[in-house]
Amino acid sequence: MADPGASIQEIEITVNGEAVARTVSSRQLLIHFLRDELGLRGPKIGCDTGHCGACTVSFGGKTIKSCMMLAAQADGAEIETAEALASPGGDLSELQESFRANHALQCGYCTSGVLMSARFLLERNPSPSDEEVREGIRGNICRCTGYVNIVKAIGAIGREEVSA
Amino acid sequence: MTAPAQKTIEAPTFVGQSMPRKEDERLLKAQGSFVDDEGMHRMGYAHYVRSPYAHAKIVSIDTSKAEAMPGVIATLTGDEVKAMTEPLFQFAPRANGQQVVEYLLGVDVVRFQGEAVAIVMAETREAARDAAEAVEVVYEPLPVLIDGVAAAEPSAPVLHESLGDNIAWKGLFDWGDIDLALENADHVVKIDKLHFHRYSSTPIECNAVLVNWDPGTDMIRVVSNNQFPMFGALVIAPSMGVGIDQLDFVSQDIGGGFGIKINSYTHIGVLALLSRKAGRPVKWTEYRTEHHQSAGHGNERTFTDIEVPVTADGTILGFKMKAFDDAGAYLHYEPLGAVIWSQVVPGPYKLKHVQVDYTETLTNKCPAVPNRGYSRMQHIWFVERIVDIVAHELGFDPVELRKKNYVQPEDYPYTTPNGCIYDSGDLPTALDKVLEMIDYEGARERQKQAEGSGKRIGIGIGTTLDSGTNNFGQSRILNPELPFSGNGEACTAMLDLYGEIMLKLGTNPQGQGHETTAAQVAADILKVSPENIRVWAGFDKSHSTYIGFSGTYASQFAVTGINAVIGAVEKLKSEILMVAAAAFGVSVDDVELANGSARMKDNHEAEIPFIGIANMVFANNATLPHEIATGVSLTCRYVYVPKFEVPDTEKKYGNLTLTYATQTHAAVIELDEETGKVEILDYAIVDDCGKRINPMVVEGQVHGATAHGIGAALKETFEYDEDGQLLNSNFLYYHAATATDVPHLKTDHIESPSPFTGTGAKGMGEGGGAPVHTICSAIQDALSGTDAVVSDSHNPPERVWRMLHAPGERGVTVSSKASDG
Amino acid sequence: MLLAPVDYYRPDDLQGAISALDTPGARVLAGGQSLISILKLRAASVDLLVDISRLEELRGIDVADDGSVHIGAGVTYDEMATSGALAGVHAKLCHVAAETVDAQVRNRGTFGGNLCHNDPINNFPPYVVAVGATLHARGPDGDRDIGADEFFTGYFTNSLEPGEILTGVTLPALAGRGVGFQEVEIGEAAARAVAVIGIDNGTISSAQLALGCLPVPTRLPAVEQALVGSDPTAGNVTAATATAGEGIDPVGDADASPEYRIAMAPVVAKRAVMEAIEEGGRHG
Repeated sequence: MADPGASIQEIEITVNGEAVARTVSSRQLLIHFLRDELGLRGPKIGCDTGHCGACTVSFGGKTIKSCMMLAAQADGAEIETAEALASPGGDLSELQESFRANHALQCGYCTSGVLMSARFLLERNPSPSDEEVREGIRGNICRCTGYVNIVKAIGAIGREEVSA
Repeated sequence: MTAPAQKTIEAPTFVGQSMPRKEDERLLKAQGSFVDDEGMHRMGYAHYVRSPYAHAKIVSIDTSKAEAMPGVIATLTGDEVKAMTEPLFQFAPRANGQQVVEYLLGVDVVRFQGEAVAIVMAETREAARDAAEAVEVVYEPLPVLIDGVAAAEPSAPVLHESLGDNIAWKGLFDWGDIDLALENADHVVKIDKLHFHRYSSTPIECNAVLVNWDPGTDMIRVVSNNQFPMFGALVIAPSMGVGIDQLDFVSQDIGGGFGIKINSYTHIGVLALLSRKAGRPVKWTEYRTEHHQSAGHGNERTFTDIEVPVTADGTILGFKMKAFDDAGAYLHYEPLGAVIWSQVVPGPYKLKHVQVDYTETLTNKCPAVPNRGYSRMQHIWFVERIVDIVAHELGFDPVELRKKNYVQPEDYPYTTPNGCIYDSGDLPTALDKVLEMIDYEGARERQKQAEGSGKRIGIGIGTTLDSGTNNFGQSRILNPELPFSGNGEACTAMLDLYGEIMLKLGTNPQGQGHETTAAQVAADILKVSPENIRVWAGFDKSHSTYIGFSGTYASQFAVTGINAVIGAVEKLKSEILMVAAAAFGVSVDDVELANGSARMKDNHEAEIPFIGIANMVFANNATLPHEIATGVSLTCRYVYVPKFEVPDTEKKYGNLTLTYATQTHAAVIELDEETGKVEILDYAIVDDCGKRINPMVVEGQVHGATAHGIGAALKETFEYDEDGQLLNSNFLYYHAATATDVPHLKTDHIESPSPFTGTGAKGMGEGGGAPVHTICSAIQDALSGTDAVVSDSHNPPERVWRMLHAPGERGVTVSSKASDG
Repeated sequence: MLLAPVDYYRPDDLQGAISALDTPGARVLAGGQSLISILKLRAASVDLLVDISRLEELRGIDVADDGSVHIGAGVTYDEMATSGALAGVHAKLCHVAAETVDAQVRNRGTFGGNLCHNDPINNFPPYVVAVGATLHARGPDGDRDIGADEFFTGYFTNSLEPGEILTGVTLPALAGRGVGFQEVEIGEAAARAVAVIGIDNGTISSAQLALGCLPVPTRLPAVEQALVGSDPTAGNVTAATATAGEGIDPVGDADASPEYRIAMAPVVAKRAVMEAIEEGGRHG
């Protein structure tokens, strides 16, 4: 644990299907736990105030910003990060494939968070309109794509245009 | 050996295709490697101590409490840095030696809110931040200067005693005869003031640096997301007293740069010194709030005393103005911006007479640094504003006025008043096309129908230039002594031991897809699939090839990067053919490449796969004629050098840029009279960057640049209060455009190949700030029939509302000769 | 972004939370969508975070026979947005919840947290004030009901006593009245108004109007009186709401000046009333 002397909590959580038990500092944010303790790269840090969405993960089936929650609050939860999207064999999911085919990423930094938001959106609304897609990902700031191709890539799933 | 400067690719299979990117799989699977994904053994973490004041004397810094805290490894203050380093290199010291003195950390005086005065290194991120808060700094506040125009006045408080005033650079640019033009013009439109605001493209990954100054080898390994490391090396190495041979720069994936990440070199220096002091590696990841306060803002520029001569038929003869560019507190990359705008002096128009009295000032704000569209977009925005205001004031149709004054297709190559050569383009066709995309006539109809409804419709046009591959010789206009000119890029193409094809680039990209486009080009030359080419990701100085210009900036990869790839791969190809020809005992002319092999042209059965070629050269060289075995390496480095001359620094004349991509934008907006809120109803873009290597990647760049411009036009701004406190210190008040802020962008293109690049491709990606021009023009159009003049590049609801409900002085006058004159 | 050292406690029930709040420097942590940011910026000092986000007592949306509805303080925006029960009685609130910030914040942020935090940019404070909701608190001394018009006391402050926790909110039945919710969206919002309008025989029979984006969401009795008894025409509404900006004292920031916000008050008031009239006409 990376914060000697701090108040601590014992947590048990399931991350990408794997149960982990750790002692964490009470003040540790979930994002730092996922990145620094578990070594995950999907959730990323882009802002101080919960606006950029780069740290978006699935928390009990719903997306949250992992920088806006303490690791201790995740005790008992099931968390999924972008690492869970591809098949265990490494094949891209339909959504990831659509991002690739539609050039929906450039630098790739926001991409993990956008993918998580897109997956959540599509679970609720399998064929969203462009407007619904934009609303669904408005909590994820992308500075490279102008969102055009992201909207296209997500919409293509609903329109069944992608072959993974 | 000199290869021809211009290369073309014959009968391309892959060039020109919208191929999905090689980079994407790792990024989609969260297997990219950004700085914070990396670590080193015994690594500590750093946190800066920053000034809460915009201008203050540092009375004392006491690190003792911090050092006593658990887990603290080391601290470093400005005074320590001063003792062990030299001030940072300045581009344009005055002839009498007066110049800004800046060290890697603040010393004696802080000059903007967020300026770093000390840094703390600890075992954990938490301990570093906690300890940084325990560093005691006593400040004595000084008068604050935030107005970039007032900064030039003699009465202004002086920020840098070593400079004596706040003038970073000053110069008169004067081409043609503006006074005669003003005298002879039928109309002169005078505009008091136009203002281009501060903003940043705010990459989502903030700056990050991981440094190990290895005590054993004295090598400094720098893992960072700096986007132009060789520039950083040129600045910090002399300051730190190290050789550039000691600096090993490494980066793989970079989370956006947009120019802002050119500026992170000071952190590399500070972290290196901290690592040396601690004898351990140290990582620093910037917080968003730090990024907004200190990482760099795009240039703010105020234009005053503007005079525009116009003839009765609508020919705009040129302009005269004063420009005040606000560089902020220190000169980082500046004052290069004071000359870079002159790549696009007349914008897309045939303006002949131009006089610009240019002053770059220092203020108590975050240093200005290059941001997508750097220095040119401020100027083209100015040009587009005056064209728009001229149309509005004199009653010309804004479309016809633009078409009349555009550089015409038959004019290319077109020499501007200051000797720049616009290579190619077709602006009238682009404008027609983009207007069709927004159904211009239909939009005009909607505009009429909306009259009196409280919702005004406006149609805006923005034409812009994306000048790429700049001639660094333009820096000598600032300072004739500077040892910089030309441009270039390097690439190494290799076969590895089993014949694998590898490319190593110098470009250090941030999402522009260089791995893919380089592979497309190489595949066509080597007659293999791009999948068979490994382009090493990112940049590592220890194996990547580079020159002083290497990096990704200034819209040049498609020219410098790609031509370096072509040159290197052509060299590799010729070596492969030499080896094969020797093996076949035939002339090189009798051998060709196909399907990953070299074969006899007249006998396709006789072929040697690349593995065989590699084997002969690397492990079986006794089978080769000795002169071949010693004459080839299959490791082929090529440096592309565009043809430039050093500009005439007296006349400020010469070709400053190799290519000029153009973009023409059009927007239909709805303006809510009651709230001043602007909504984009329709948006279209026609891009012309010559030959496109990967159209999908090009369009992605167009989209991104457009989103930045739309954000800047309506939502994104850096504003300071009178105490020099930044009001938009993070995304709480800096409203970076989201998916619901950016409308669907219709894109199309035309193709005017550049005659100067061999491939016909032009650099692109910055977009020239076109949406800012376009939305200002649309707001102006929506406000037709009122007295309003759109004079600021940033138009949030309140500003628009004030134009309608609380108008101040118009600031625009027209004087015309007798009507029959 | 790293928090200053802080302790964390997740009680099993409401009583445990109330007891824990007795600790010096203790503060309630619900969805955390505002508080965590504040702690990251180290803009507030807290010694103990008492996590109430899982307390069953704070959950649930319950519609009573009379059409009033009780919403637990721990109900998330997303649960509000997707609640068929809530949609049946306060459809506008569902709609507002569905448009709050973004999906991730909606999945985590709570109704009670939004109200207690009382950031002027928050969207629910003017809603509960306009509809005349009752807020329910429990503390060391037991349960207490607080009228919405008395709950909000200033910039980021409310009238909860130390140790008290907001447990839920009862919204009265709309009984055919229409609700309008209008804002000038700059950042979250620079001006906001919520109107509840009843129409009887083609005349405005009741009017409740509150402005948000203020330190204290504010009812506009003079405007309400001017509306009642008039025909629901655009002209009448414009005239009646013209004074909506009088006497308010909005805070200026990077997004908008106080002057602009004052000028926007009549605009959002008018639009909210017109929307409420339309909504009432549709559903009433």
